[in-house]
Amino acid sequence: MEFLSGFWGNVTLGFGIAGTPFNLLLCLIGVFLGTLIGVLPGIGPMTGVALLIPLTFGLPPNSAIILMAGIYYGAMYGGSTTSILVNTPGESSSVVTCLDGYQMAKKGRAGPALAAAAIGSFIAGTFATLMLMLLGPWVARIALRFGPPEFFALMVAALTIVTSLAGRSLVKALVSTLFGMAIATMGIDNQSGVPRYVFGNPELMDGLEFLTVAIGLFALCEVFVNLADLKGAVQDRLSIKGSLWLTKEDWKRFIPSCFRGTLSGFFVGGIAGAGAAVASFVSYGLEKKVSKLRDELGKGAIEGVAGPESANNAAAGGSLIHLLCLGIPGSGTTAIMLGALLMLGLQPGPLLFIQQPDFVWGLIASMYIGNVMLLVLNLPLVGMWVKLLDVPLYLLLLFITMFSFLGVYTMNNSVQDLYIMVLFGVIGYLMKRVDIPAAPVILGIVLGKLMEEKMRQSLVISDGSMTIFFTRPISLFLLLLAVAAITNPYWKQIGRAIRRMFGGAAA
Amino acid sequence: MKETEEKNIDDRIASIVLIFLSSTYLVGAFLIPMPVLKQQVGPDAFPKAIGFAMLALSLVYAFQQFRRGGKAEETEEEIEKRAAIIGAEEKIAKKADLKTMGFMLVAMLFYAFAFERLGYAISTFVVFMAGVLYLDRRHLARDAIIVVIASFVLYYIFTVFLRVQLPPGPLRLIGL
Repeated sequence: MEFLSGFWGNVTLGFGIAGTPFNLLLCLIGVFLGTLIGVLPGIGPMTGVALLIPLTFGLPPNSAIILMAGIYYGAMYGGSTTSILVNTPGESSSVVTCLDGYQMAKKGRAGPALAAAAIGSFIAGTFATLMLMLLGPWVARIALRFGPPEFFALMVAALTIVTSLAGRSLVKALVSTLFGMAIATMGIDNQSGVPRYVFGNPELMDGLEFLTVAIGLFALCEVFVNLADLKGAVQDRLSIKGSLWLTKEDWKRFIPSCFRGTLSGFFVGGIAGAGAAVASFVSYGLEKKVSKLRDELGKGAIEGVAGPESANNAAAGGSLIHLLCLGIPGSGTTAIMLGALLMLGLQPGPLLFIQQPDFVWGLIASMYIGNVMLLVLNLPLVGMWVKLLDVPLYLLLLFITMFSFLGVYTMNNSVQDLYIMVLFGVIGYLMKRVDIPAAPVILGIVLGKLMEEKMRQSLVISDGSMTIFFTRPISLFLLLLAVAAITNPYWKQIGRAIRRMFGGAAA
Repeated sequence: MKETEEKNIDDRIASIVLIFLSSTYLVGAFLIPMPVLKQQVGPDAFPKAIGFAMLALSLVYAFQQFRRGGKAEETEEEIEKRAAIIGAEEKIAKKADLKTMGFMLVAMLFYAFAFERLGYAISTFVVFMAGVLYLDRRHLARDAIIVVIASFVLYYIFTVFLRVQLPPGPLRLIGL
C-alpha cells in the first residue's frame, strides 16, 4: 500500500512537471526535431542528439532532458519511415525493418507498414516506460548499496558488454574504447591537481570536451563519408498508396508479434543492457522461429515490421533504466545523453533517482506524453516527412557542417575546439575506413573519468590491494560477466580445443 | 581479390599508427609529475594501465593483419553474418573522391580560422557559398537565398532572439 501511494505520488509529480506548457512545447519540439533527424539520410540519433545538445544549454536541467529524450525517441521513430519507403535505414536499429517493410511498400502496402511500425513503437514505448516506473526505484535502491568497487566492476562490465557488441572485430572495438578512455585522462587530474597530457596548452587544462569529440567523430565524419561518394548516392523511393490503416487481418497478425517484440526488446535493452539494434535482430529471429506465417517473412510480412519496431523501442526505453538508475549508458546515444547530463551538472545514478524525484519522474512522464505526440504527429504527416528526402544532399552536408561549428563554438567560445573537432572528423573518417567503430570512443570518454575515480576510491579503501575487486561477491560477479563478454567469440574455439584435449569425438 | 589486399594495407597502416600512438601515450603516462602530497594511487596509475592495455591490443591487431594471407579464423562471410546479427555500423565504400574531401577539409579549416576573425555571419556565408559553388551550381539562385538565411538571418535569430553570443566580426564596426 505504501508502495502504491509512493508510486502515485511520483507519477503525479512527474506529470505535474512534464505537463507545464513550456515543457510540453519542448517535448513537442524534441520529437519533431528527432523525427526530422531520423528521416534525414546520414544523420542518425547519435549525430542528432550530439548536434542538438547545444540547444539545451540555456534550459533548466528538467527541461533540457525532456527535450533531449524527445529527440532520442523521435529519431528512433523517424528511422523506420525511411526504412520502409526508401529501403535506407536511418540508423542501425531499423536495418531489419527494411527487410519486410520495403517489400510491403513495394506491394503497395506502405500505409499499413508505417502504421504497424508506429503503433508497435507506441505500445512498446509505453510498456518500457511503465516498467521503468515500476523497476526503476527498486534497481536504484539496490544500486545505492554499491560501493566504489561494485561501481568500478559495473562500469568494466558495461563497457566490455557494449563493446563486444559494437563491431566486426572485438580487438578493434576494444582499442576504440581504450582510445576514448585515454582521451578522458587529458586535463587536470581532479584528485591530485596534477596536469596530464596538457602539452603546456592552457585550454587543454579542462581536458577535451566530450561533445567536441562526439560531433567531430559523428557529424563531420558523416560529411566526409558522404562527400567521398557524392555522385554514387541515388535514392529510389516508393510512394504511399491506399489506406494507411490496418485491416482486421493485419491486426490479428500484428498483435502477437508486437507483444513478442516488446517483451524480447525490453529484456535485451533493459536487462541485458544491449542496444536497440541488437533487440531488433533478436526479435526478427524470434518471429522467424515462432510466427505461423514465417515463410512470408522477408517477402513483406507485417510481423517483420511489427516485431522489430516494437523491440527497438522497448529496448531504447529499457536502456534508460541503466542510464537513470545506475548512471551507465547501454548505447552510444545514451552515452551522449549521459555526457550532456554531466555537462548540466547532474550525475545520473541511484542518488539522482532518489534525491531528485522531480527530475526523474518529470522525464518519465514526458516520455508518455512524447509517445502520444509521436503517434498523433507522425501518422497523418508521413507524406510531409517523406518530402524531406528531397533536400539535396550537398545542402544537407553544408548544414551539418554549419551546425557542428555553431554548436561546438557556443559551448566554450573557443576556436581551438573547432580545430580539434575537425581533427576528430578526419580521425572518424579514417576509423570508419578501417572499420573501427566510433561509438565505443564516446562510451570510453564518458565512463573513463568515472571509472578512474571509482578505481582510486576502491584502492584507497583496500589500502592499495587489488583483491578488493575479487573478494566482494557483486563486483566479482560483474567482472566475470565482463570476462565472459570478451571471450564470447572464442568459446567455440576453446570448446573445440578442450574436446580435442580429452580425445573426445571430433564432431 | 585486389580489393581485400588493399583493405589489408589500410588495416596494416592503421595497426602501426595505433602501436605508435599507444606507445607515445604510455611514455606520456610515465612522464606525469608526482603530486606534492603522496597518494595511495597516484595520477599516473590509470593512464599507465590504459597505455599498456592499448599497446597490447594494438600489437594483437597488427599481428592479426600481418599474419593474414595464411588462414583466417573466420571467413569474410561469417564476419558479415555476425555483423548483421549485432547491427554493426555499415562498411563504407572504398571509393573516395579525394579532391572533394580535400576541398571540404580546407573549407572546414578556413571556417575555424575565420569564425572569430570574420564573425559567424560572414564566415558562414563565405564557406557555405564556396561549398555550393564547388559541389553543385545548378540551383544558384535558390541556394544563394538559403545561404543568406543560414548565415545572416540565423545570426540575428541567435543573437537577438535566443541571446546566444556569436562572434560578430567586422559587423560590429557598423554597429550591427
